[in-house]
Amino acid sequence: MPSTAGRLRAKPLAARLQPFLYILPALVVVFSVIIFPLLYAFFISLYKVVGPSQTFVGLANYTNILHSDFFWAATGRTFYFTVVSVALEFLLGLGIALLLNQDFPGRGLMRGLLILPWALPTVVNGVLWAWIFDANYGALNGLLKQLGWIKEYVIWLGSPAMAMNSVIVADVWKNFPMIALLLLAGLQTIPDVLYEAAEIDGASRWRRFLAITLPALKPAMLVALVLRTMEAFKVFDIIYIMTKGGPADGTQVISYYTYVTTFQYTKFGYGAALSYLVALVIFLMALVYFKVLGTQEDYR
Amino acid sequence: MRKAVLPALAFALCLAGAAHAAPTTLNILSSDDFAGFRKSVTAEFEAANPGIKINFMSVGYDSLHQKEVTALEGGSGTYDVIDVDCIWTPEYVTKGYIDKVDDKVTGEMKKGIVPAARDILVYKGSYYGLPMFNDVLFFYYNADILKKAGFAKPPASWEEFVTMSQAIQAKKLAPYGSIWGWAQAEGLICYYTAIVHGFGGDLVDAAGNPKVDTPANVKALTFMADTLRKSKVSDPSSITADDRSMLNAFSQGKVPFGMNWSFAWSVFDDPKQSNVVGKIKVGLVPGAASMKVRSATCAGSMGLAITKSSKNREAAWKYISFLASKPIQKRQAIAAGALPIWTSLYEDKELRAKHPALADMSAQLKTAYNRPMVVWYNEFSQVLQVEVQNALAGKKTPQQALSDAQKHIAEMGK
Repeated sequence: MPSTAGRLRAKPLAARLQPFLYILPALVVVFSVIIFPLLYAFFISLYKVVGPSQTFVGLANYTNILHSDFFWAATGRTFYFTVVSVALEFLLGLGIALLLNQDFPGRGLMRGLLILPWALPTVVNGVLWAWIFDANYGALNGLLKQLGWIKEYVIWLGSPAMAMNSVIVADVWKNFPMIALLLLAGLQTIPDVLYEAAEIDGASRWRRFLAITLPALKPAMLVALVLRTMEAFKVFDIIYIMTKGGPADGTQVISYYTYVTTFQYTKFGYGAALSYLVALVIFLMALVYFKVLGTQEDYR
Repeated sequence: MRKAVLPALAFALCLAGAAHAAPTTLNILSSDDFAGFRKSVTAEFEAANPGIKINFMSVGYDSLHQKEVTALEGGSGTYDVIDVDCIWTPEYVTKGYIDKVDDKVTGEMKKGIVPAARDILVYKGSYYGLPMFNDVLFFYYNADILKKAGFAKPPASWEEFVTMSQAIQAKKLAPYGSIWGWAQAEGLICYYTAIVHGFGGDLVDAAGNPKVDTPANVKALTFMADTLRKSKVSDPSSITADDRSMLNAFSQGKVPFGMNWSFAWSVFDDPKQSNVVGKIKVGLVPGAASMKVRSATCAGSMGLAITKSSKNREAAWKYISFLASKPIQKRQAIAAGALPIWTSLYEDKELRAKHPALADMSAQLKTAYNRPMVVWYNEFSQVLQVEVQNALAGKKTPQQALSDAQKHIAEMGK
């Protein structure tokens, strides 16, 4: 039997080029909308751009960023946002997924409703929560006051720390359903026989959760956490709608800082360098996740 | 069936027109402010100039700068005419976005346009366009509430503003004396500029360089922070409201005093948006009696300029000077409440009759101050916004906040 490689070599040139012809349109699109902008952004990041004049500055933009208080403050806020929102979304998502994996009447409807917040565009979600948190007309103040929990209206978006936590609440509400759905899908792949066998062996509910559910959910958790962490680290739109980075820069996360630097200060070189640093951080986070959660086990 | 006839006719006319001569198409990028009026008169301009077609686009003020910068930085020549806020002129000129029009501006324009408005598009001695309206922050008051509280006149000083607000609050006529647009946005700097000058301060030194940590500027910021946390005459939600959203609260009729631009007048006057039709009056923005300033406010006019990449300079100037012309300016004042750019129109009898606030408003124009004219204005503004908010929120003392701002401003533009 002739080797596969031998057969390929025997083909005429036109036939060998044929596959490339098929993927050419895709290559052109990928190159023009992804690879070219990526390379061009790196090119710009080496320049100081003032209107039409560009001066080559090497890595000065990068070193300036690393010496900037604004950058480190924004990075700190981004980590806070990411850690708190992803942790809350994960816990809430896991709880809801376990609940919706039980058999109860109306389960289908509940699963359907779960998708609703996630299906809303982020802009709509941001406007919605901005109104809920509104100090004078907001539903949250109205509710808490009627319940008698607060005496005076609270200005939820009025102080830096409170504004950040309010934005996190809005983000958690929108994004926990995605984690819940992924984990629910993961739960459904666990064969019931495992639980039955464990029950016969006398394992408690908690023990069954720790020894079967959690390990079997690992792949789904990995996907959910990686996706959400990266998304949360890039958070922009909900900040843009709800607080515009304020008050007193309290919600100025790294993406928003990049936007302000690039499009309001029009420091394009500096902004491009910032985006590269953000991309680098996200890449490192993905690596860590794959290392930590990367071992996969097959239970079937 | 009948409905289909008109578009078909219009289409046929277009075809006929196209067959004649390819018309010049001008792409205009305008702010949403007064865009409705501009659009409505554009049809007249096209009718009078058959060779020119106008493609009119508008965006909200907050996205305008970004849209212009991205379009012009790319150098693609998308727009022929752009809307320029007074604070962007140095940046746009330095970066070569907009073109000189010294050869076009007439002597009548140089003499007849209110200087504060005319100069927004003048940089280093050259003209770069024409203002489209004349705007400053005005002091509005709800005459109804004042009457109930026993006041015949609006406050003459910031000190009186506080005592009057406290009296009104004590009588439970309003929860707070005023609400401001002090969110982290450009509006905050406008309010701050007005109050700074009211305390005899300035955001620039004699040479025009930003200098924010002077004693007078600290006093102005202290006054603002005190109205939030000591005298409690400013609604605490001011720190999250911008100059648009504070209008909602003001037009509900529960706030006696508020500062806003001229467009606010058309909101107060519209029964669909406001509960205060006929109750709002315009007074002079107070100054600090302790600093012997009667009144001071912040200017905020915008104007149209021709981009350097435009290939239709002549047609573009025709359009700009049409919108700036006296008849159109007069109609804009009546239809949209914008203050006209021509000095002579403030004496126009018909206009005075149709725009009841015009007389009061024109008095304010004499004490309007511009924000600093610096190339890196947006960065300057952002830093100052953050530090002013730090003081308003009580995170820093006003002195500390402004010293920190000055430190950052010194490193700017790098």
